Amino acid sequence: MTVIQKDKVSMNRRDFFKVTTSAAGGLMVAMHLPGCASVPEGSTEDSLRPNAWLEVTPDSRVILTLDRVEMGQGTYTGMCTLLAEELDVMPESIEVVFAPVDDAYKHPEYGFQMTGGSSSIRVTGPLVRQAGAVGRLMLVTAAAQVWEVSQTQITTNEGRCELASQSLSLTYGELAELAARQKVPENVPLKPADQFKYIGKHNKRLDAKAKSFGTADFGIDTQLPGMVYAVISRPPVVGGKVSTFDASAALDAPGVINVIEVPRGVAIIAEQYWQARQAQEKLKVTYAAGEAGTPSDADVFALYAKALEEGGSVVREEGDVARVISEASRTIKAEYRVPFLAHAPMEPMNCTAWVRDGRCDVYTSTQVPDIARAVARRESGLSDDQIHIHSTFIGGGFGRRLTQEFVAEAVSIAVHLDQPVKLIWSREEDTQHGVFRPSALHRLTAAVDDDNQILAWKHEIACPRILDYYAKDAAGAIVPGWAPNFMVKMGAKLAVMTTPDHSPTEGAAEVPYAIPNIEVSHAQADGGIPVTFWRSVGHSHTAFAVESFVDELARQLDEDEVSMRLRLLSEHPRAAAVLKATADRIGWDRPPSQGVFRGVAVHESFQTYAAQIVELSVDNDQIKVHKVVCAVNCGQVVNPDMVEAQVESAIIFGLSAALFGKISFQDGQVQQSNFHDYRVLRMNETPEIDVIIIPSNEPSTGIGEPGVPPVAPAIANAVYKATGQRLRELPLVLG
Amino acid sequence: MKIIINGAAREVQVAPETPLLWVIREELKLTGTKFGCGMGLCGACTVHQNGVAIRSCITPVSTVEGMEITTIEGIGSEDNPHPLQQAWQDLNVPQCGYCQSGQLMSASALLAQNPNPTDSDIVNAMSGNICRCGTYPRIKKAIKKAAGNLQASSVQMLQPEMYQPKEPRG
Repeated sequence: MTVIQKDKVSMNRRDFFKVTTSAAGGLMVAMHLPGCASVPEGSTEDSLRPNAWLEVTPDSRVILTLDRVEMGQGTYTGMCTLLAEELDVMPESIEVVFAPVDDAYKHPEYGFQMTGGSSSIRVTGPLVRQAGAVGRLMLVTAAAQVWEVSQTQITTNEGRCELASQSLSLTYGELAELAARQKVPENVPLKPADQFKYIGKHNKRLDAKAKSFGTADFGIDTQLPGMVYAVISRPPVVGGKVSTFDASAALDAPGVINVIEVPRGVAIIAEQYWQARQAQEKLKVTYAAGEAGTPSDADVFALYAKALEEGGSVVREEGDVARVISEASRTIKAEYRVPFLAHAPMEPMNCTAWVRDGRCDVYTSTQVPDIARAVARRESGLSDDQIHIHSTFIGGGFGRRLTQEFVAEAVSIAVHLDQPVKLIWSREEDTQHGVFRPSALHRLTAAVDDDNQILAWKHEIACPRILDYYAKDAAGAIVPGWAPNFMVKMGAKLAVMTTPDHSPTEGAAEVPYAIPNIEVSHAQADGGIPVTFWRSVGHSHTAFAVESFVDELARQLDEDEVSMRLRLLSEHPRAAAVLKATADRIGWDRPPSQGVFRGVAVHESFQTYAAQIVELSVDNDQIKVHKVVCAVNCGQVVNPDMVEAQVESAIIFGLSAALFGKISFQDGQVQQSNFHDYRVLRMNETPEIDVIIIPSNEPSTGIGEPGVPPVAPAIANAVYKATGQRLRELPLVLG
Repeated sequence: MKIIINGAAREVQVAPETPLLWVIREELKLTGTKFGCGMGLCGACTVHQNGVAIRSCITPVSTVEGMEITTIEGIGSEDNPHPLQQAWQDLNVPQCGYCQSGQLMSASALLAQNPNPTDSDIVNAMSGNICRCGTYPRIKKAIKKAAGNLQASSVQMLQPEMYQPKEPRG
């Protein structure tokens, strides 16, 4: 995710942390933000430790406030590992609370409280380490005061300060109050890599226990006293509106409390969820098409083709591509298409909201708590300080939970009720009424000379901008909370106009191959279908086009596709290294078994390099993937097994999209509904996966997404070898 | 209506055609069992009916009256985990974790019937359970590990495993 990036915030570490005594007499390390209220005097348990990162209580509990959400990517474990390393406690001993909405927890690059962009360990990781190091040094300082020795004589070990020469020891809890009264130290050094106890070693997933006993609470598990349930009938046509509705039969159904029109449809509220669903069948609604009309896929792709003919805005230009192509003795052209995709997280969209007495509580699985608060503010008319967003574990995000229309819906219902209401989307609604990975049309042209050198690379992409859809809600979190709605709308417009949206071309603009003339452009074309971020965002389609086309060039030039890539990656040693590691592991020099074919792809995203080689066979036009080898370089690894797990996850996610993924529109309506026609990979379709982590001491980079982009082109490239058919459209279907 | 859940008889006031899933989750407040698809396609709602794995989202509650229903809350506890629940932790199986109750219920029904499943037995038993995070390779390994441990009277908590870089193969 690369849009809405602000300039990186440069923070003076000295001013950055504020340390205070907590209400209970413990040590609390909080953010100190200039111009923002920091920890208020006399804060209580109820106040949710505003701005806190770390608290050490008098009974030695260590509490980390997790500013990023846990949706499977392992941030929970990663941050505990980093804190444990610097504070010197066991990672398992750390208690985690999910952060409330607070300026302290805004993502410094995006400007709002967001989890995404494979950025948590890279961006928050250093802050958590710093908080741990500051906390530890202050505890050591306190111990030195107690024992009247110099700090250098004191060591720490798993939550204790120790003075070995006198066999003395105090727990962090015993020292916490005194530690909180010390002067906040400046420029505290972080532990050097050769002293790491946990970073790069710790391999126990800390949330695995709760998730193995069914005790981890997701948004949908919220239970409140007197809670009722809601479902919403929405217009079947994208962007449609309710014309009329007749609620009489639905209102007579058992358990139904009310039927009300809300901004996105008609809500049925009942005492039990199933009663609401049953009553929904009795509700009669007529709809009208919205501004987008009733687009079908063919209309959308016709728009894309027209936009390509008209030309787009150039995002990278080196040399003179037009001239070289027009003068070339040989040009090679290809077009690639990718469809809309749904995210299909296992936890369907849902939100529980309770509005009463000038207070609004929202319980939901969200990747953006402050945008949730902004839309709750819009729907309830309350102010930020009256709205409380309760974050939970998330049953799959993949970018879907960056959009908060389900929060808006739940709050728009709750304002009509006294009691809390839980809104639950069905799987069909989740598939049809959400926001989608944009479809896209790519056209690539290469010029080649008589010596088989690639002289020019031209890449034209037609697709919509994500930001046009995203800014409306996101602006509410970026403009001040007191701003009236018209200012929020203005902010959204301004954001669209002033913020570059790299999503259409990311991964294409940075094509790493050494070619003297390169031109990459984006032609804006929007079919009116709402789009958003989807695991690996633009890379999810640009890598398919780039890595398929470079493979096509290798065939045309009769060159080995690994050797050619390595030759052209001379200026990108990290990309070359992952490719080489993958080729070595699979034994690229030796042919695969009879009937098995290999394909390769390499791609950088989220500052991480990933190469994949797949082995597959084709029988009766059915593609069977046997094996995927993937090498990644994501800098310094915090939890190696979790990095492996993320790469496995990304490959399986990428395989679902490559082999099955397609949301199609006919007359404005999504044609898929549930897992039978929007298939995702199952265990019987899952290949053997072999992950190689390239050792590195460079700063940590992303790992949640970079395993996705190489999958589709690697499969397409192998299918070509197996069948001679070049599949240029996703999903990859033969016959 | 009376249903027996995790060994206890419970009275619920619901229409007989109400899917068992919603009775378990919203009436009995046992939220470990999850809603995923409502069509028996994803397995997130898997529970046991007299020891056999069923999809509670498409099972009318009236059809299980008087039968033994077991949910994730009934197969083990943190103090006394099912060998699968231990293996799930040892191999870091869960990611987002939402589907894992259903995965564990399908896996525990498999092991109850077939204590030494082959790879294809596991794939056959587990392919009805979708995991969008793609934890399938680990689920498969964890079932094998638990099958191996089933005979053991107690399972020791393991220390955090330390990472050994892989030697390049072949």
